[in-house]
This record gives sequence, C-alpha cells and structure tokens, in this order.
Amino acid sequence: MKRLSCLLVLALVMSLSLGAHAAKVIEITYWTHTDDNRTTIENKYIAEFEKMYPDVKVKRVVNEASKMGDLVLTAFSANRGPDLFNLPIEQEYGYIMQNRVSPVDYAAIGYKNADALKADYMKGTFEAVTKGGKIYGLPLELTNWCIYINKKIFRSAGLDPEKDYPRTWEQMADISEKLVIRNGDIIMRRGFDFRYPYYLVSLLPMVEQLGGQLISDDGKKAIVNDQAWLKVLKFMKEWGPHGRNLGSPTYPAPRKIWNKDNNDMAMCLSGFYQQGRLRIDNPAFFDSKEWMVVPFPKFKDAVKDVACSYYGHFLMVNAQSSKDKQEMAWKLAQYMLSHPMEYLEVVNIIIPRKDMLSSKEFKANPYMDVFMGDMDRGHSVFLHENGYQFERFIGDAVQAVMLSNVSEQQALATLRQRIQEVLDEQ
Amino acid sequence: MPRTKRFSMEQKKARWGWIFVTPSLVFFAVFSFYPIFNAFYLSFFRKNLLSLKPPAFIGFGNYTYLFSSPLFKESVVNTAIFTFGTFVPLLVLSLILAAFIMSRKRFQKFYQMVLYSPAALSSVVAAMIWLLIFDPRGLANQGLNLLFSTSGVNYHWLSNDTMLRLSTIIVYVWKYVGYFTVIFVAGIGAIPNTLHEAALIDGADRWQDFWHITFPLLKPTTLLVSVMAMIQCLKTFSTQYLFTTAGAPRQPINVLTLNIYYTAIKDHSIGRASAMSVLLFLVMLVFTWLQLRLSRTEEVTYM
Repeated sequence: MKRLSCLLVLALVMSLSLGAHAAKVIEITYWTHTDDNRTTIENKYIAEFEKMYPDVKVKRVVNEASKMGDLVLTAFSANRGPDLFNLPIEQEYGYIMQNRVSPVDYAAIGYKNADALKADYMKGTFEAVTKGGKIYGLPLELTNWCIYINKKIFRSAGLDPEKDYPRTWEQMADISEKLVIRNGDIIMRRGFDFRYPYYLVSLLPMVEQLGGQLISDDGKKAIVNDQAWLKVLKFMKEWGPHGRNLGSPTYPAPRKIWNKDNNDMAMCLSGFYQQGRLRIDNPAFFDSKEWMVVPFPKFKDAVKDVACSYYGHFLMVNAQSSKDKQEMAWKLAQYMLSHPMEYLEVVNIIIPRKDMLSSKEFKANPYMDVFMGDMDRGHSVFLHENGYQFERFIGDAVQAVMLSNVSEQQALATLRQRIQEVLDEQ
Repeated sequence: MPRTKRFSMEQKKARWGWIFVTPSLVFFAVFSFYPIFNAFYLSFFRKNLLSLKPPAFIGFGNYTYLFSSPLFKESVVNTAIFTFGTFVPLLVLSLILAAFIMSRKRFQKFYQMVLYSPAALSSVVAAMIWLLIFDPRGLANQGLNLLFSTSGVNYHWLSNDTMLRLSTIIVYVWKYVGYFTVIFVAGIGAIPNTLHEAALIDGADRWQDFWHITFPLLKPTTLLVSVMAMIQCLKTFSTQYLFTTAGAPRQPINVLTLNIYYTAIKDHSIGRASAMSVLLFLVMLVFTWLQLRLSRTEEVTYM
C-alpha cells in the first residue's frame, strides 16, 4: 500500500512538472493567404525560429486569399483572432481604427523607437499603419501596378511596342482599338482591360489625375470636382459595350489570361509579382523577352501626375493575445521579414527595406525601374473605415455607365448620395 | 424496503424518445435558435463587428433606416423578382418532368438520378460552370447564335440587367428542378393505381387521367413544393455572390442575402444586417405558416 502511495505521489509530481513545462510553451497562430513559394520559405524561417526559441511553437495556417478577410473578421468578432496575420491594408485599416491590433514592440524587434524602424524602410512605408504616432504593422509586401505589354501582339497589329506604347488614357483607348479583334459584338482579343473590382487602387488615381477626390480633405463632403469624375465615368462608358466595346468586367480577368500568351490579351495591369507567376505559368514566354512593362498612363489634360496607388500587406499582431505571445509574434514577424531578398527572388514581392532597394541585385530585376518610378509618382491607396463600401459604390457607378448605359451624371449623383449618406452617418 | 418507481411502457417509450431527440434539440438550440434570438437582439443595436465597445441600443433605428433606404428597397425588389421568376418555372418544370418520369416504364430511377445530380453539386461549383457558359465567348452565346443563324451577337448574359436576372434564374432552376421533381415523383407514386385504373375503365385517356386524377390529388405536394421552392429562392446567395465577384453588375441581382452579407462582413454593420435578417426571417415564417395552414385544408386521404 505504501509503495502504491509513493508511486501515485511520484506520478502526480511528474505530471505537475510536465504540466508546468507545457505551460511554458508559447503557441503562436499565424494566419496568412495561399502562396506556395512563400509557404516554402516561411516554413523554413519558422523552423529556424523555433530552433532559436525552443519554447515557441508556431502554427502557420494558410487560407484562400479571397476568403482570408472574412475568416479573420469572423475570428476577431468572436474574440478568437490569430496572434499574427496579414491582410491587404484596406482591410487592416479597420483593425487599427478599432484597436484590435497592438502597436509594434520596438524593443522586441531590436529597434529603439518608431523613427529607428522607419529609417530602415522606404519613405512613407508606414503611413498607412500609423495612428497616434504608433506603428501597427510590419510590411510583408508593398505593391503597385504598371502596364504589362505583349510585344508580339503589338507587332501583329502593325505597332512598334517600344515606340507606340500608350502614355495617355486617350492613347490607351486608340491603341486598344487597333489591337482588339471582334467576332461581331464579341471580343476575341482585347488590347487592354481594367482590373475592375479594384477601383480605389486603379480608378481613383485616374480621377485624381484630373483634380478630383473621393471625399474632401476634411472628410465631410463626398465627391470633389464633378468634372473630373464625369470625365472618368465617360471614359469608362466609352470603353464598355455601349461605347467602343474595348472591354468589360464580364470578360475573364486580364492578368490571368495575359500570362498564357494566347493572342487574346495584349496589355494588362499588374504588379511586379506578375513576373514570378509568369515564370511558373509560362516559362517560355517569360524567357522570350517578348514582353515589357511601361508606366501607368495619365490623361492628356491631367492636372496631376498620379500613378496607380500602391497597397500592401502588413503583418499585424492581435491586441487580445497575451503579452508574451505578442512579443514573440513581433519577433517572428521581424525574423521572417529580415530576408527581403529571398522574398523578392522566390515570391516576387517587395519588402520595402532600404538596404534591399538600394542593392544591385534588386535594381537588376526586369523593369524594376518602371515600378519604382511609378511608386514615386503614386501614393498609398485611399484608406477609410468604410473604404470597401466606397469601392463598391464606385464599382456600381462604373458598371451602371458601362453595362446598363446609365448616364454619367445620373451615376455620379447616385454615387455622391450613397457616399454622403455614409459620411453623414459618421 | 425501498420503493422502486415503475414506469409504464408509454413512459419508457417517451423517455427513450427524449433521449433520441435531445442531441438534435441541442444542435438546433446552439446552431439555429441561438443565432436567431441573437439576430433579433442585435437588430436593436448599433454594433460594429470589429469594435470591442459594447453595442449601442437604438431601438427600431435599424428598421426605420432600412424602410427608408433605397438600397434595401432595391434588394427587396430584386429578391421578389428572383423568387417569383424562379419558383414558377421550378414548379411547372418539376411537375412536367415528374409526370414524364412516371409515364416511363423503364429507367425511372436513372432519370431521377440524372435530374437530381445538379442538386448534389455545390452551389459554388454550379455557379462557376455557368459563369463559363455565360462568358461572352461561351456556350450560351454560341448556342443562341447557332439557333438564330446569327454570328457574333453578344446576348450580354452577365451584363444586361434583364439577361443577368435571367441567368441567375436559369442556374437556380437547373440546380433545383431535379430536387423538386423527386418530390413530385413521390407524390404521384402515392396515388393509388386503382384510381387510374378506374379512370381508364371509364374511358379516360392519359391526358384526362393526368388532369382529372393525378393533378387534383397532387395538390398537397404542389403546395409543399411551391412553398419550399419559394423559401429556397428567398435564401438564394451563392449564385448572385459569385456572379458579382466575376464582374457582373451588383445592382440587378443585389438580393437580400447578398445585401446582408455585404452589410455585415464588408461594412461591419452587424446590427443593420441583423435587422435585414429578421425581416427576411419573418417573410419566410409567413410562407411557412401559410404552408402549414393550407396543407391542413388540402389534405388528401385515400380510403
């Protein structure tokens, strides 16, 4: 009996000590979107990180990019958000405004303060994630879009891609007219087409080129400069099936079919990452040198030189996670992001660290000068807590003029009324 | 001496009944009743889905907003157009197909299986298949051009308001016609053969047999199918969601469920989305009540 009691006590002590050890393990949940190349390198970094910190276990969860926003939102609304995550900045902005993410732990990632962190990155990198002087995210990627051109298609239409590429939106429409092939009303080959759902990234800068704004500087008035908006809406109407029939949102997404080099898409709007995808999707076309990248056009009578807006994915840490988890999550984020060159080479995404941006290897990438030039001409994507709602309303206006043949004036009036209603409610 | 409580057979049966039913009740309580009550509760508050602040009570504020909102009215109209535009062809086609299947001597099961198969398909996959068909260069335009001996006419399946509504109706009818056909087949199968035989002896032809025997006796099934179809149509979401994400204009197919999704998930306005859900729930409740009430008066018994 005595022996049995001793054994029981021993077992209890052992289980308690094991429990105490288990309690020391910090498990960090990291949610991110699908990208096979990134998964490969990040799994490697995570393994290295776990070796450096044996008491830390990282659970990397991959979600479909299109569902990621809904999943993270649902988890956060149930107070079960991941410790570390990334989303497009337009979505992350709400998390900052609602205090759902924690400010960067500068000490944990080896910086003295915010200024020291900013000094290592390209100017303006942290503007979108700064509130009250505090920085709330580390940049996983910063992306802007330029125009990718298939030179063969240009030549087949009697154009010289090096000389005849579009500099203005008016030229873009005229050149597209030369490149388009139709069977009756049905377009078989498009010259160029827009990335329709992303109106804040690519359409709003077109309005800004003409001096327009979505909301006034004081944030109280919807639609600044009607003439600028009307001109852009008219341009889109002309672009659609009720105008010159050069493209439509109902045709397949341009950047997806451009890679195939199937003589059905001459130009598309995309980021530097397109090259990585092209290399995988169609290595022969990638190596052929039959493609080129040119800057985002502007209107002939533009009053401002504005390129496509840049947007980003930032790594953010859940403010509801425990302090030790937050600290380790920031350390992990910093460790992964300390390999910007590998992210560039393997994943084709740009982590805007000055040391990388100034390196020879970075500058040697195809058409990097075009992307960086447009980055200078552009600015961060429009951010607002109701940004997605506004983008949807702009989309409704564009679709109304392009597809339902609604007048520009009527579409603009509806757009103004809807956005103003949201602003007034705030 | 301790007294042992004796249960009658009825009580024992009832006790086992409760044991079997309890898991389902718990499941429904957690996953259906709680969300319903929560939605009712939240519909009286202003609440941002991301905010940690407690929701602000605004009484009927969300409801009064909705009744004056043009976007909500647009969703109601779109839902009504879709529901009536879908349930009528669903009802008629499934009845015709069921009558056709029951008139066959062979391959009845095969026909049912073929017709039912789209219902087993995920709504997302179904919508993706039809997106390819409705693509300007897809089968739908090619088919109509072949039929009308035209070339290169774009029927704007995904862009013209009317055609877009028609496209969503086609997808839904294709997906669910088999499901309702199977219900009609079961209804027709339940009619005793003696009635058909008596009609044939009295000199009725097949058409007269259908109109004067089968069709009147199918009233309860027809009612059931029409209400089920209507409720199913009111809940439509995936087709409209996928079509809009594929570039189709939102305005003509912005049904209530789509509006609820955007309001809650994209705009984070969970109180307003809950109010919309409650209104949709009430409409469906009315239809269900109507079904129960009418099915009682239309009950058919075969002696």
